[in-house]
Amino acid sequence: MSEDQNVDQFIAAAVRVGASVHRCDAITTAIVYIASHAGGAILLPTFPSGERRSLATLLRQAGLEVISGDLRPAAATAAAGVTGANFALADTGSVVLESTAEDIRLATTLPERHFVLLDPRKIIADGAAAVPWLRKFHARSPRHFLAYITGPSRTADIERVLTIGVHGPKELHILLVEGWSDDFLEV
Amino acid sequence: MSKQRSKNYKQRIDTAIATPKLQEALHRFADAYVIARQNAFAGLDFEQLRTDIAASKDEVRNHHPQYLDEFTKNAQAAGATVYYARTADDANAYIADLAKARGVKLAVKSKSMASEEIHLNKALEKAGVQALETDLGEWIIQLAGQKPSHMVMPAIHMFKEEVAELFSKVTGNQEPAEIEHLVRVAREQLRQGYLDAQMGITGANIAVAETGGLALVTNEGNARLVATLPKIHVALVGIEKLVPKLEDAARIIQVLPKNATGQLLTSYVTWITGAVPCLDADKELHIVLLDNGRSALAASPHCKDALRCIKCGACANVCPVYQTVGGHVFGHIYISAIGIILTAFFHGLDEAAELVRACIGCRSCVAVCPSNIDLESIILHLRETVGDEEGIGAGKNLMFRKIMRNRTLFHTLIRAASLLQKPVTGGERTIRHLPLFFSSLTAWRTLPAIADKPLRATFAKLPQKVEKPRYKIAFFAGCANDFLYPELGGDLVTVLNKLGVAVSFPAEQNCCGIPALYSGDRETAVELAQQNVAAMLSDNPDYVLTTCPTCSMALQRDFVDHLRDNPVWAEKAEHLAAITMDACKFIADVLQAGDAFADGAAVGSVTYHDSCHLKRGAGVWEQPRSLLAAAGHEMVEMAHADRCCGFGGSYSFTSHPAIARNIMADKLADIENSGAACVAMDCPGCLLQIRGGLEKQDSKVRAAHTIELLAERLRGGQ
Repeated sequence: MSEDQNVDQFIAAAVRVGASVHRCDAITTAIVYIASHAGGAILLPTFPSGERRSLATLLRQAGLEVISGDLRPAAATAAAGVTGANFALADTGSVVLESTAEDIRLATTLPERHFVLLDPRKIIADGAAAVPWLRKFHARSPRHFLAYITGPSRTADIERVLTIGVHGPKELHILLVEGWSDDFLEV
Repeated sequence: MSKQRSKNYKQRIDTAIATPKLQEALHRFADAYVIARQNAFAGLDFEQLRTDIAASKDEVRNHHPQYLDEFTKNAQAAGATVYYARTADDANAYIADLAKARGVKLAVKSKSMASEEIHLNKALEKAGVQALETDLGEWIIQLAGQKPSHMVMPAIHMFKEEVAELFSKVTGNQEPAEIEHLVRVAREQLRQGYLDAQMGITGANIAVAETGGLALVTNEGNARLVATLPKIHVALVGIEKLVPKLEDAARIIQVLPKNATGQLLTSYVTWITGAVPCLDADKELHIVLLDNGRSALAASPHCKDALRCIKCGACANVCPVYQTVGGHVFGHIYISAIGIILTAFFHGLDEAAELVRACIGCRSCVAVCPSNIDLESIILHLRETVGDEEGIGAGKNLMFRKIMRNRTLFHTLIRAASLLQKPVTGGERTIRHLPLFFSSLTAWRTLPAIADKPLRATFAKLPQKVEKPRYKIAFFAGCANDFLYPELGGDLVTVLNKLGVAVSFPAEQNCCGIPALYSGDRETAVELAQQNVAAMLSDNPDYVLTTCPTCSMALQRDFVDHLRDNPVWAEKAEHLAAITMDACKFIADVLQAGDAFADGAAVGSVTYHDSCHLKRGAGVWEQPRSLLAAAGHEMVEMAHADRCCGFGGSYSFTSHPAIARNIMADKLADIENSGAACVAMDCPGCLLQIRGGLEKQDSKVRAAHTIELLAERLRGGQ
């Protein structure tokens, strides 16, 4: 399957499970989007693509309150988390995040909104295609925490009625940023 | 047999049936599930996927010490502590001791059926540790003090009003019974628990030997919080969750959500390998590998395949018994078909004995099992075991062992019964009412009278006009065709003669043995298998045909199994299995004779009921439909055409008539709603049930065997 088809399939699948997906021609477009949707303080863990592109500065320049460094004290009250992604799965619309660093987990589990910056070049076909990458993570470090995230948190435990946002984020915003990072081993 | 236990169980069934609200909810869920599942698997080869999952699970089962060792070493190398718990008590003691040693006051839990299995919360409570369930469904049943009623949706039996009441007690406010609000209440109430807890307890869906890692498949996001925030993480993992490689794990992740809830993927798949950072140190990760009967299950030649289970819960979703009585009645901790088997091995045969008998044997679970487990066969084996341990009841014992095995006596008694029934039949073919304590038998369906003359007495006189037969077939009638519906034998001769086939009726044939087998009397079934193999092969026929798919399963599957170790009979049984088939399949596939029934004239509309053992036992469902369509019938599909009619042989007479009656009511409604003038089927058991039910409610819809309708077309009548 071609790269474009993967992207189209990814967008369709992610939207179907309740994620918001936006194509951004540049990071500035993504920053504007985050600024208008964050709804409060943002948890920004340290991750390579964000560091390289001075994401904290860009977000602060957009007027956002950005919490970085030790995230634990603020994690329970922050409105949103912003991360990159290692790669994504087209067939299910999932983003894959190597979350071994605790801050990545805090930023993606506790706040009500999660913004993901994803380079569309990182979208692969499916879970089977991800296996070689899982093996590379394992070879790099035998201790790791990986997350496939597919849409917002959901439950159907009361009368089987689908309800969004029970424990994890209520909103998942995926921002497709061209040229953001093509390295599958980094967030 | 524990009479008191059986009596209590029947009372629980009656109570469940008296709560139609739950039944309606489970039926609605089942309908939505079937569609969602079908969409989720669109474009995928389910048969191949489940074959592969079964193979990887069998690989681990067959080389368990090796994979267990590989997993343990890899997990330890990554900083995990691995403990092998032989029993539930061992696992509970390990976790409770750990909690005490670390001064844990509060442990937050994500959903773990293994922890339900071992009653971990009680053990923690005894150790002075509060266990807080954070999965919404688990929290609800924890507050209610109940057990889960479904493996994936533990609180599926509860309604929002009940949940609102439970939550109101927690918050001290009157919480409105509005689902979105209630979910918000749960989010707010449980949030502080993650932050305060000193220990997080999760299960795991998969343990990967290659990496020593675990995979968790979840929707709510609570498992991620439980595994992230507290300093100690305990993962309780059944040893059957082991797979060799990441590819095997990826395949299970691909299939599990689709088969469980019809989701392409759950919101979260979390791969945790080793001790990852937590606060300013490494997390303390303990992996408790739980045996608790699993090794015994692995060693059981008849039941071991049950260890392939990936806990998707699909066997409940499609089960007509589950839909009728719910998971609290049709289950213990684990519910429905797989639950029966796991209960027997994890919690003991006594807990499983009633459940084993509550399965109606329709095989709908087998059709959707993602690990290719023949659940019905395993349950059948357990029924034999219960029969051996507890006896099958004096009445059945006499019937099967002393009477059925002696064909002449058995058949003489049936003939005698046909005379004795005269006062209630008044010579009619249908019994609408029975007196006194038999009256419940005809309260909800009429019963066919035993025919004056069975087929075996009249067959030789049936005129057969075949000059040079294309094939010689021997007809295995089965008791129902022989003694209740003998005219069907004539219909079969009419149809097959017209197609150039000669039919014989080997007189020494006896009951196929299914009633004995399904009641747990294997010994009688084996004896009957020998009698029938000898009888049916005596004329050296080209094919053996049946008009009863349950008999077909006996001839094709069970006889081979019963006689496998007998050098005299094994090969003959194999041969009989190879040449046996359902009459419709023979006509459509071997003779390819659909055109023979077309005479241009249109006849009425027909809806087709798929008999469980025909569709899911013999794989036949297209053939009768195509033959009936070729014969000029306007075919109309009913909803749930392949759902059980509730007959189940002795199930509907003695075991669980109350459940059978409810399942039948669903079927009759589907038939009536189809608008067809006639419902066709290829099983005399279904015919007894459906015709009896329709007659009792004075329905205008006719019930008929496919062969009967085909014969009518050839005779030029309707």
